[in-house]
Amino acid sequence: MELREFFTEDGIKLDLQGSSKDEILKELIGLLGLDDKSQGILFKMLKRRENLGSTGIGKGIAIPHCRSLVVNRLRVAFGRKAEPIEYRAIDDQPVQYFFLIVAPPLEVSNQYLPVLGKIAGFVKEPDVPGRLAGVQSPREFLALLEEKGA
Amino acid sequence: MHPHLETLLEIQDLKTQRRELATAGLDREVQESVFGLSVDDALAQIDQKVTEMEATLPAPVRGRLQRMQAKHPRVVVPVIRGTCYGCFVQVPTALASDADRNEEVRTCQSCGRFLYLID
Repeated sequence: MELREFFTEDGIKLDLQGSSKDEILKELIGLLGLDDKSQGILFKMLKRRENLGSTGIGKGIAIPHCRSLVVNRLRVAFGRKAEPIEYRAIDDQPVQYFFLIVAPPLEVSNQYLPVLGKIAGFVKEPDVPGRLAGVQSPREFLALLEEKGA
Repeated sequence: MHPHLETLLEIQDLKTQRRELATAGLDREVQESVFGLSVDDALAQIDQKVTEMEATLPAPVRGRLQRMQAKHPRVVVPVIRGTCYGCFVQVPTALASDADRNEEVRTCQSCGRFLYLID
């Protein structure tokens, strides 16, 4: 299983506009193409997860994630914000790169946790944050995932 | 979407999250090691939120929810391609293709779980 399989160009936005955690979460959810009601439910679920503890894992990276009935398969998205925002990350540094993961409660292939773990491993590679800053297009982002064999 | 169904969905999502956190395994390990989450605190918060949300449901819906919860870990299930994903029995065509999807709180005639129609 490789991360590249789960990302599409539609699910990548390199110029996020939001200036708060809530706005960024909504923008990321918008990349999944769900109806308005489902987006609202998903937003609440992601907020609840954030309230339990921030998904900002440090080095400018956050991985908001949850399981929800509003999706029928694993969905992922990536967003980059030019100016980092306050996210209450574990290192108290602002966040610039966001990986969204949403999965249904039951998955036949049970990919949610492996994908979550793979993204966490990918972003912990020392050069990845810098490489993410230099990505110019969704295609380059996908190429980076492939190059890293994530 | 019917507001009670929306609440039921949210309760189910929280319970799914709780179940994964409470079970020793990869999720708990990732949540603690990668995100620094205090699992015990998280479980307490989830329990409180679920209790609050259940209290907002009308008695008949809450009663069914509690009865079903005693029997099944998943009480709100999707209907995908006409199949209840709780018991995997086909639901009536009229229900699966209803134009007012999710505008009513519906239950599976076979297993009694609450149904959520999804494409």
